[in-house]
Amino acid sequence: MAATNYKIAYVHLTSKIRQTIVALLGVMFGISMYVFMNSFMTGVNDIQTVLAFTSISHIHIYNDGPEDNTNLVKKAYGPEVLANIRNAKVIQYIQGIKNPEPITALVRKQPDVIALTPQVNINIFFRNSANKINGTLSGVDVENENRVFNISEYMVAGNWNDLKYNPEGVILGADLADRLSLHMGDNINVLTPDNVSKTYKVIGLFRTNVNGVDKSKAYLNINSARQLLSANSDYITDLQVNIKDFEKTAPVIARLAPVIPYKVESWQMANQQLEAGSKLRNIIAVAVSLTILMVAGFGIYNIMNMTINEKIREIAILKAMGYSSRDITTIFLTQAMVIGLAGGVFGMGLGYVLAVIVNHIPFKIGGLNNLPMAYRPQDYLLAFFFGLMTTLVAGFLPARKASKIDPVTIIRG
Amino acid sequence: MDNNTALKADNIVKYFYEPEKFQVLKGLSFEVKKGEFVSLTGKSGSGKSTLLYVLSTMDTDYEGSLSINGETLTGQSMNRLAAFRNQHIGFVFQFHYLLPEFNVLDNVMLPALKLKRYSAKEIEARAYDNLRMLGLEDQALKAASKLSGGQQQRVAIARALINDPSVIMGDEPTGNLDSKNTAIVFDIFQKLARERGQTIITVTHDEDFAHKSDRIIDMRDGEIIG
Repeated sequence: MAATNYKIAYVHLTSKIRQTIVALLGVMFGISMYVFMNSFMTGVNDIQTVLAFTSISHIHIYNDGPEDNTNLVKKAYGPEVLANIRNAKVIQYIQGIKNPEPITALVRKQPDVIALTPQVNINIFFRNSANKINGTLSGVDVENENRVFNISEYMVAGNWNDLKYNPEGVILGADLADRLSLHMGDNINVLTPDNVSKTYKVIGLFRTNVNGVDKSKAYLNINSARQLLSANSDYITDLQVNIKDFEKTAPVIARLAPVIPYKVESWQMANQQLEAGSKLRNIIAVAVSLTILMVAGFGIYNIMNMTINEKIREIAILKAMGYSSRDITTIFLTQAMVIGLAGGVFGMGLGYVLAVIVNHIPFKIGGLNNLPMAYRPQDYLLAFFFGLMTTLVAGFLPARKASKIDPVTIIRG
Repeated sequence: MDNNTALKADNIVKYFYEPEKFQVLKGLSFEVKKGEFVSLTGKSGSGKSTLLYVLSTMDTDYEGSLSINGETLTGQSMNRLAAFRNQHIGFVFQFHYLLPEFNVLDNVMLPALKLKRYSAKEIEARAYDNLRMLGLEDQALKAASKLSGGQQQRVAIARALINDPSVIMGDEPTGNLDSKNTAIVFDIFQKLARERGQTIITVTHDEDFAHKSDRIIDMRDGEIIG
């Protein structure tokens, strides 16, 4: 029986080929838009992530300063004792992370951790004669720093690895160098908060395209930074950690935070605006593409309804000849399915073509060359699935209507 | 009901509700024998077409009971009735009601493809046999819409015959045909009744046609008057 129903569906589809094509184009357009919008949004989010993680790590461990100890009286005698303390001075007993070796070892042991790097970060004045700029001098473990932040990719002059063997060398953000009128090989003087002054040589320039970083950051070998602070040889201020999936920081934090006596912070906590932006873009993408699919669905619904009104006499005659309601439903659902499947396949193709074309449009802002695009199979499969669902729902209602046609009223007129 | 009865109607009552409640069929009871060629006649509004559609099992909104070939059809589900029509009843309507997008052969084969008593190949052979009997075998592969009115009506008869139904029902099958084609259709019906023992029940306005058939059921105002 099924074969006959399919044959009837086939004849219906091919005899009004123009209508079929219009319905098919509707689905195709909806699905291609879904594919394209999602690829584009994913591409943008990926780029955003890459840009963001040139300057921040997934998990940041640092000394957040001492807790508020200005009212010691209250601590000793409880809140009912009044105390009047003015101009309390806070003493930070521990600068940076004390005894970092076991902490580093503990973090490294976590299964999700793929890279970590210690840093000695110093707030500093960069000076070139009369020019003074406030910024951060980051003493880094050259190899591990590159593993976490991939900084060697962003070098515009010099070689990242030169930092390893050059205790007198610094690598400057390109904008910082501009503002200080410094070039490769020039000398730069730094002044620490403790009034220590030292002169280094510019051995490289980088540009991450994160403005705040490019105009205020410089890198130094971690041992030179310790020397500058007169700190011991395992002194660090920050531990930067990367994990396998940057979205899944929460479980790692949950494991580390209770056993590490310092601030353990995920990138989401530190940069909620990044997460919000990425989530909002996803919502927009889904909303837009679902709207398009719905419009396409209404198109199919309309065309199927029209077809059924045109074929109402034929449906009646099929029923008179003994075709059951289920046969009629099958015939019209098959038509919707064929439109959905074909529209889906062509839609995925068109979506891919659109994605490739837009991917080639030049876009030279923030270190990009052209518009970003992601090519993920799951976007295509989801689009196909949603398209098929839409067509089935849009086809089901008219098909049911057709199956309920009463042959007597139609044939008697 | 003895074995020789093709169709039995018992106290069939039917109302129309639009525009107001109105009794169309007023308790009709009759039997039709196997191989009988029956004409339903009467003025328009007499209820003869309404009766035919009740007998056809397509209209289920009636009181009383109907059985064909000993099977009681009153109260059966729509899908069961569709399957019954497919196997036991062939229809010829006033307007041919062929499917215009299919060719003649496909139109004839469709009820048999639904019944699936034979393979597609055998069905095709049987369809050709029917078309040959009706003098249409050379039109088999033409689109149904390309044929003349008389030819289309003969195709509709070929389609009605494809499953060897025991009852063939016609709703003014010659209403749209000229006298020559009317004669052809009548001859076919008579031959089917005489040679194959198929029961023919047909509504007609055509006095000659009715008088030549085996039996006339004449109706007026929802009652059988002769």
